Amino acid sequence: MADPVIEHADAVVVGLGAAGAIMAERLAGAGLRTVGLEKGPDYTQEDFEIKHDEVRYYQRNAIVAALTKDPVTWRATSDDRAVVAPWSAGPLGVDEPLYGLPSIGTGGGSIHWGGAAFRFREADFRMRSTIVERFGEERLPDDTTLVDWPFGYADLEPYYDMVEWEQGVSGAAGNVGGELREGGNPFEAPRARDYPMPPLHQAAADHRFVEACRRLGFHPYPTPSGINSEPYRGRAGCVYCGFCHGFPCHVGAKSTTQVTSIPAARATGNFEVRPFARAFRVDRDESGRAIGVSYFAGDGQVREVRAEIVVLACYALENVRLLLASGINENGQVGRNFMTHSYGWFTSVLPEATNPFMGPLTAASVIDDFTSELIPDNDAGAVWGAPVLSVTGDLQPIEAFHIMPPDGPRWGPGLKEWLRDNYTRLHRMYSQTSSFPSPRHYCDLDPVVNDPFGMPVLRITHDWDEIDVATVSYLSRIKHRIADEMGVLERWQDSARPPYHMSTHDVGVHRLGEDPASSVTDVYGQVHECAGLYAIGGGQFPSYGAYNPTLTIQALAYWCAEHLLDERGA
Amino acid sequence: MSEALLFLNRAEAATVEALACRIMPGDEADPGAREAGVVTYIDRGLAGFFRDQQGFYRQALRELDRHCEERHGRRFSELDIGEQDDVVGELDGLAQADVGGSLLGRLFALVREHTVQGMFCDPAYGGNRDGVGWRLVGFPGAQWGYRVEQMRPGFDATAIPLSTLADLRERAERDADG
Repeated sequence: MADPVIEHADAVVVGLGAAGAIMAERLAGAGLRTVGLEKGPDYTQEDFEIKHDEVRYYQRNAIVAALTKDPVTWRATSDDRAVVAPWSAGPLGVDEPLYGLPSIGTGGGSIHWGGAAFRFREADFRMRSTIVERFGEERLPDDTTLVDWPFGYADLEPYYDMVEWEQGVSGAAGNVGGELREGGNPFEAPRARDYPMPPLHQAAADHRFVEACRRLGFHPYPTPSGINSEPYRGRAGCVYCGFCHGFPCHVGAKSTTQVTSIPAARATGNFEVRPFARAFRVDRDESGRAIGVSYFAGDGQVREVRAEIVVLACYALENVRLLLASGINENGQVGRNFMTHSYGWFTSVLPEATNPFMGPLTAASVIDDFTSELIPDNDAGAVWGAPVLSVTGDLQPIEAFHIMPPDGPRWGPGLKEWLRDNYTRLHRMYSQTSSFPSPRHYCDLDPVVNDPFGMPVLRITHDWDEIDVATVSYLSRIKHRIADEMGVLERWQDSARPPYHMSTHDVGVHRLGEDPASSVTDVYGQVHECAGLYAIGGGQFPSYGAYNPTLTIQALAYWCAEHLLDERGA
Repeated sequence: MSEALLFLNRAEAATVEALACRIMPGDEADPGAREAGVVTYIDRGLAGFFRDQQGFYRQALRELDRHCEERHGRRFSELDIGEQDDVVGELDGLAQADVGGSLLGRLFALVREHTVQGMFCDPAYGGNRDGVGWRLVGFPGAQWGYRVEQMRPGFDATAIPLSTLADLRERAERDADG
């Protein structure tokens, strides 16, 4: 092997996605020469100008880290042999973006994301205490390692605000400084100010959902969305093309960091991107301090960036893989506390055509009447609820085929007629219940399977627990009530024990905390055992709210960047 | 008029098309897999993105013909429609029992998946010829965007002219020319 080519910088950021691009923007903005190592391409808007192609993006995983190149293995328990994620890499090779790794390239997972931009609730930061106070300790799953966050919603609020205003989020405020606002979420935690943009236009089917929820006494509000509802900070407003979740945006309306923080970082003159760079090791000096990152460059050559600040921001799972591959796991906490979402997809046929191909996934509404601590005591055994979201748009025909009823016609005239008669009338709901951390749910390096570069892949050990099934089942009753009230003709739902054990919502595996013995990073993302190394992203979450993680991931990135720079006196 | 074949041989193409036509049957008046060009979609896919599945397709198609010759004395594509439907029902049973468990079950599951892709892909992929798949289900295709009035309940989207990736490119080039 040729000698590695070494370059020097002040900071190196691995992964330029939702969190990494924000770190890069802040570090470069503070005058630090920053190099970004990105596994995928360095995209330009021209790459996405004509992206209205379901086969390319949804069926042939054009922008995601496909399992052929980036395998992840899974087993239900530590007694099983792990296999490459069978729900994706099975005999059909249907690698839909939702149940694999996030998109890569500048913008990372914020390219493919649907845009759901929720803040966590106040109670989400003290999930353990809240459950214990309400139901008693005995209602927690026996072996859960659930802990409260070492800080609260109010601490993170200014950073949520920063994401909403700097990245761009559309929505209707429900609670500004304690004052409830008509049209927003009445259960919302107080926010300092409104969203910078009004909500997106509701797609057709959402009217039925909203009216039905109101009649049932629920409180629907527009899904907050990282998509411009009107021109904002030099970017266009959404044109409602309906190729959104799983697709890049062709007009730059989605608040992907590729069009927000990356250009801002570049504008400082202190930032450079190394595309097609696969980081494989954090390099350390004899004292154990991080001194840089080694990577395979696009030409296959081993290169290294030496820097005093090393930031890992390449998704919870990949962060863990890099930490473990670098021998950073003295306290055995790296990879523990794996948490993910079970979506509880619920699909209905409406009485009339509502054109579900129009508009983004988030041009719709949601109820929080049963979210987190708001769930009433119940005989199902659920102790932590989830929002119920209406999904009205962003549904192309092949995806519609994949969500057909399990007992529906599979071939022949019946299949053809089913799609002909029902495609334009489909409506979906989902909840995303959070799993509980447990010693049985973790990630480590697979002892057998390597990626095409010869590096061990990540292995997930996870199975759905009774409490997960209980929560999905409880929320299923709510969805049935809403569907009945909507007057749907037919309805069906996913199993409460879904086949997937990974989505782009996997978190918790490099937990933040004050105690170096029981967490991986400190409150501001610095890895306890390795000075100069920061692991940023959903991997830091001590517990999991039932909302999409992106807004909280980005708020944490601003929070960590600010603290890092304060410490340096920059 | 026949399309060029880039991977499948003529007999294999006939078998794939016959299978696809049982999954999405049709005729001139009510187009299905044949009219949409599904076999062209699959053949081009196998020559490109699905190249890792070339060996599987070849082996499994041979097995299907062997199976049909043993049962009915003819290849799958030579059976009458009723016989083909019996075979497809059997294959689908295998696929539902264990999709990876048998060559024929997996073949059916894959062809079913690829037939649907060939019905609803952009016509640039060789399937969904003249947008027949999109017309069937009421999908207007690759649209630059929709107006708020079009997103209201009760809007008749079948009035929107179909648009393809080629149309969007043309539009972009027109815009670039001013």
